[in-house]
Amino acid sequence: MEALSCGERRLGSEEEYAAPAVGVSLCDSAPLVWRMQDLRAVRAEGLVGALLGSLPRTPRQNGRLGRPLLLLPEEEGLLRERRAAAALPDRCQDWGGAELRQKHEEEEKRSFEEQSVLALEDRKLALLRAMTGAESGATSADEALRRRLQALDQNFTFPQSAMAVQLSTARAGLSYCPEARAFLQAYGPPGAEPRCDARYQVFRDLRGRGFYLTSAGKFGGDFLVYPGDPLRFHAHFIAVCVSLDESVCLLDVLAVARLGSNVKKTVLLCSPGPDARVCYTSLQWSGMI
Amino acid sequence: MSGASGGEKRPPPNWILQHPAQMKDLQIEDSAQVHAAFLVYMDLTEVRRWKEVSCVKSSELQVVLLEAREKEGAPTLTILPLPAHQSVTHKSIRHVLDRGFPVLLCAVAADSTLVYQRMTDGLVTPDPPVGPFQDMGRRQHRKRRQQR
Repeated sequence: MEALSCGERRLGSEEEYAAPAVGVSLCDSAPLVWRMQDLRAVRAEGLVGALLGSLPRTPRQNGRLGRPLLLLPEEEGLLRERRAAAALPDRCQDWGGAELRQKHEEEEKRSFEEQSVLALEDRKLALLRAMTGAESGATSADEALRRRLQALDQNFTFPQSAMAVQLSTARAGLSYCPEARAFLQAYGPPGAEPRCDARYQVFRDLRGRGFYLTSAGKFGGDFLVYPGDPLRFHAHFIAVCVSLDESVCLLDVLAVARLGSNVKKTVLLCSPGPDARVCYTSLQWSGMI
Repeated sequence: MSGASGGEKRPPPNWILQHPAQMKDLQIEDSAQVHAAFLVYMDLTEVRRWKEVSCVKSSELQVVLLEAREKEGAPTLTILPLPAHQSVTHKSIRHVLDRGFPVLLCAVAADSTLVYQRMTDGLVTPDPPVGPFQDMGRRQHRKRRQQR
């Protein structure tokens, strides 16, 4: 079921690049990945993203989250650059909300009828067991049970509130039209927004060196840099992206360096250089009190 | 030099200006930075007793840099003293790193507190956490069960 279908092979001149495109749904400007095969493909490219959804079986916790996967702007940019991402529409045009609701109600009604039948059988079995159990007991109790059994067929009602509701978790609940796809174009010319551009250059360089990057909101930096998959390693670096000419207050440098040493990570000052190379400066505690 | 009128005491000369470190000769306009450099110089020489402490002028950045060794035989370090309220660019840090020695950035606060920060080119892996490590196992689950 999770196998990549042929319908997703990319058409066009780049036939030798066999990896199929990842379907990205844009919710306003947030790039979301919904389908399992897309999530696997994204992870295989070394992009981590952040899971946003709640899991149906364990809703009231924040430790393990489910789909969709939110991509960083830099991750989306990298997919665009590699021409590996395609836009999916938010919802399919054919299926309206009313039809979905009707389908759901029909399914529920069918389930209710099935469950009523099963509940009646269960009740009868229980009474029979009670009767046979009281073989040696008083016959008046036995008679009462027998009468109840006969009345059961007429009087039994299965309340709606007792119905077990099935949540279908296999189905993502999202419709998609494989035909209506446009490849996400690459971003505009660089230098449009210096801070964003610096971040993207740094992201691309570090990813190219094999590091995994996630957002570093908890640590006040731009990225957390892992030497391998985040599920296996702790982060080694907190990357702070600045342009070479950007003036940074010395107190901020001290603050982020101090934070880094408290959490056993090296703070990296990263700046894209003029020759498409990125220069890195590691900040470490000097050990001089 | 000679007292003009009797009873009027001349203020003692500013010992900082007369200090043999001779930073004034380097002709840096940013006097706050020169003062910061002087304080770091005093800290390294008198308090920490580092060896071969000398001042160098950086013409691109127009600042006073210090070069010193922690002890005999230790590698030379470049120290960049800056007042804490100032800003710095990554480019200037790269300039100092380009000198080829490991760099110590020293931030000098208004009350003369000094904070030293080591700066290195490239990606320096942090020291790993020290063991012994204990496998937490089911402890967290057990704790939560007991709380219920």
